[in-house]
Amino acid sequence: MATNSNSDKGTRNLVIGMVSFIVIVGVVFSFISNRSSSTAQVPAAVSEADGYGIVLNPTATPQVDIYVDYQCPVCKNFEIINGGYLAEVAAAGKAKIVVHPMTFIGAESILAANAAACAADENKFLDMNLAIFQNQSSAENSGLWTGDYMKRLGNSIGLKSASFEKCVTDGTYVDWTKNVAQASAASNVNSTPTVKINGKEIDRNTQYMDPVKFRAALEAAGVK
Amino acid sequence: MLNKLIKLQPWLTLLFRLALGAVLLVAGALKVGNPQKSAMAVRAYELLPIDIANFFGYVLPWFEIGVGALLILGVAVKISAFLGGATMLIFILAISQAWARGLSIDCGCFGGGGAIDPSQTKYLEEILRDIALMLMAIYLYRFPSGRFALDKE
Repeated sequence: MATNSNSDKGTRNLVIGMVSFIVIVGVVFSFISNRSSSTAQVPAAVSEADGYGIVLNPTATPQVDIYVDYQCPVCKNFEIINGGYLAEVAAAGKAKIVVHPMTFIGAESILAANAAACAADENKFLDMNLAIFQNQSSAENSGLWTGDYMKRLGNSIGLKSASFEKCVTDGTYVDWTKNVAQASAASNVNSTPTVKINGKEIDRNTQYMDPVKFRAALEAAGVK
Repeated sequence: MLNKLIKLQPWLTLLFRLALGAVLLVAGALKVGNPQKSAMAVRAYELLPIDIANFFGYVLPWFEIGVGALLILGVAVKISAFLGGATMLIFILAISQAWARGLSIDCGCFGGGGAIDPSQTKYLEEILRDIALMLMAIYLYRFPSGRFALDKE
């Protein structure tokens, strides 16, 4: 009986030890696999000071920061409602626009963010941004988006260079997406889309999904 | 009546261990693959400094898996029940303050989380569920020994 109770105790301690070990290793793994890397390759239009976002018109004012996840349906709606106006503002150089492609929805968000960054290097970021949203799957991580799919999307907007295709295939900017995620987390972005003008979030309840009010918010900040 | 309850106790302990343990294990497993989202869910409560909220977001899913596994196996039930119950109490307080302050967030209990449309909030049922789980944890703390557990008296 005594030996039996000893072995029970041994089993019990072994189980406690194993569970604790798994928890600790798991936590460490989560931190390491998501930390940002100072050696990650970043697209040319990215600056660390702007939270690793993709910057259009770096010297213009005001600054408009847009946080999206390419798989987020509300972000797609936001793009449909305000994307055309934002593209005009960008083309006319009337504002510094910084797009932060977050990737918390998962693997296909990373694929899309990488492809958008590859397009940024070819000066086609906004076109690719729009094409990705237009081809959003109705379900998250459904398997629709692959490297080949992103290449075909790029081709459809005129991105046919070998450098673009290599960038998509190699996942050149996959590590950069972790930097974007960490920087967005550090600036307390809790949902997508999030829009900040000169660092201050506009009103989520009224100004995001109404094109007139969104435009008014930018004009109030000096976009004419 | 009392006799019956005493006879029933080891089985109630088993039932509550499996229920609380399974909820914790599933809640942890659903979040563990996506710590970015988990951290975002914790930040959305606007309760903790950002760095600490992010830290909790990374640790919490693994913690839930660990406590859930111990409860299901019936190891260190008293301590696990205390940890599980304390976690539920924290959840109840966090959700209540979000509700009272008029935030519109998903609790992020089983993945998801972050800001949502005000019409989509489910604070009352989230709080009631966590109260039920906390009561189970209190029972387990009081009566830790039950059927089919690795712990022996």
